[in-house]
Amino acid sequence: MPVVPQSFAMGEMLAVLLARDMADGEKAIVGTNSDIQVAACNLARARHAPHLWWVSGPGGMTNPTEGIIRPAADAENIAVAQAVMDLPLMIDFIDWQIHFFDFAILGALQTDRFGNINTVCVGDHAKPRLRGPGTVGISALCGLSKRFYIMMTRHDRGAFVPKVDFVCGAGHMTGGSSRTDAGLPEGGPSLVVTPLGVFDFEPASKAMRVRSLHEGVTIDEVRDNTGFDLLVPDKIESTLAPDAEELFVLRRAVDTTGVLPAKFPWPKAN
Amino acid sequence: MKTSSGKIVDLATALAAVKDGMTVGIGGWIFHGQPMALIRGLIARGVRDLTLVPAPGSVAPDMLIGAGCVKETACVFISFEHLGLAPNFRRAAQSGAVKVLEMDGPGIAGGLRAGACDLPYGLIPDLGTDLPKVNPNGYRKARVQEGSRPLLEVPAIKPDVLLLHGQQADEEGNVQYFGAGYFDLLMAQAAKHVICSVDRIVPSSTVRQSARLTKIPSAFVDAIVVTPFGAHPGCSPGLYDQDEAHLKTYVAASRDQKSFDSYLDAFVRNGGGEPAYRDKIGAQALAALTSGGAAP
Repeated sequence: MPVVPQSFAMGEMLAVLLARDMADGEKAIVGTNSDIQVAACNLARARHAPHLWWVSGPGGMTNPTEGIIRPAADAENIAVAQAVMDLPLMIDFIDWQIHFFDFAILGALQTDRFGNINTVCVGDHAKPRLRGPGTVGISALCGLSKRFYIMMTRHDRGAFVPKVDFVCGAGHMTGGSSRTDAGLPEGGPSLVVTPLGVFDFEPASKAMRVRSLHEGVTIDEVRDNTGFDLLVPDKIESTLAPDAEELFVLRRAVDTTGVLPAKFPWPKAN
Repeated sequence: MKTSSGKIVDLATALAAVKDGMTVGIGGWIFHGQPMALIRGLIARGVRDLTLVPAPGSVAPDMLIGAGCVKETACVFISFEHLGLAPNFRRAAQSGAVKVLEMDGPGIAGGLRAGACDLPYGLIPDLGTDLPKVNPNGYRKARVQEGSRPLLEVPAIKPDVLLLHGQQADEEGNVQYFGAGYFDLLMAQAAKHVICSVDRIVPSSTVRQSARLTKIPSAFVDAIVVTPFGAHPGCSPGLYDQDEAHLKTYVAASRDQKSFDSYLDAFVRNGGGEPAYRDKIGAQALAALTSGGAAP
């Protein structure tokens, strides 16, 4: 995947792009293996959204902040949290309550034209070509939060497929009003961030649409790496790269040990 | 060790409660609090045909599956996170050797609550996923009133035996956690028999000094096994980190069944139990995990 050399890592860029879309006072949830998500939430809190509230889904720690990005379930988060909740109580608002969370940020093995999510299997479920980790809270977060972000650290035809092989998180389902017709609350995916660009969903059809491409990325390259037809606006915006101030706060206040550049460099050109 | 409550027992005594064909719950969360000494003990005993109900986990369900002890497993989430997919679970699921009962967070939460409350099933929202298609017994369309959100019935989960790992316990069987409790207490309420390994035993006065750390009060535990480094190669929050080097060895050894059998013969089926396992890992390697230097 050819990408222009940048002064920031892919993980840093994804964190900055996500953080920009978060608003002050919103409520969010972060899963176990979520370095970019933790960085995005803490970056938003350190800049424009000081009252953003986020909770570790498995561990129950709220707003843990110490300038080091740790796995959200780790006990070390307890000493730097505002509260520690127990999972058997948290399930009320994670698995049942409608719109408690403003947003969640989810990765996937596959996503599709309408932003449905698959982390279960590639191929037939009874005899999969690739057995994934499973659903955990993704079904509830996609189904019940006000919106969700899809964060993909790879953008290729294996990950961006016409229809996911297994729906474990409902996005805009089959497009149009299908999501609310199925009895799900308003919501669904709002943005998709990838190493190539930022994507949203056209309001009527709910089909994925190009919002902006990162510096040096062409629309042909995106089409070559996407397994379905994206909606493309007449004029394609260029993604505003992380600026010096965003990177300064990210590196000096949020990720002081450099977890993001170590774990999420740009994919190598092939 | 002989104690007044009689709950602190040796590994073999505790694991005698697990019979072939039982439904076995596993607590913890991914690499946190995986009850590995209990898992290794079950493998060494050669228990067969288990149905697993693991909380989101990693090496505990994966090792039991790779050792051929499992007939079917619920899967809410089984992952090695940054180390990749769970290798033995993946191989068994892809070949069809182990039947996978696909579940999600609401399914296990609703099922455990129903189990803990002696209700036949729990009600969860229908979230528009494919789960009911592949697990029709686990997710049944519920009858709802006109205008209600669509709901699913999930049958009560009541494991025959539950395996947990905590950091320390007193002789009455109060189990303390230095990290989060995850689903462990809810699972203990739902299970018929609870076995918990702990890294160490402490005086009752130590427990009383910090009673907020007691996540599993003694009434919810049937047997406690004291096994230092009993969560290795996973982490025991607050005591030792996960052993990245050994987990990588494990993943490499899991490339095929023959290779994984050699791993099990070397580390688990050598007749020496946990003392031999700790010797094999090595005192220096174990000590390094307690330094806090590995995280984050």
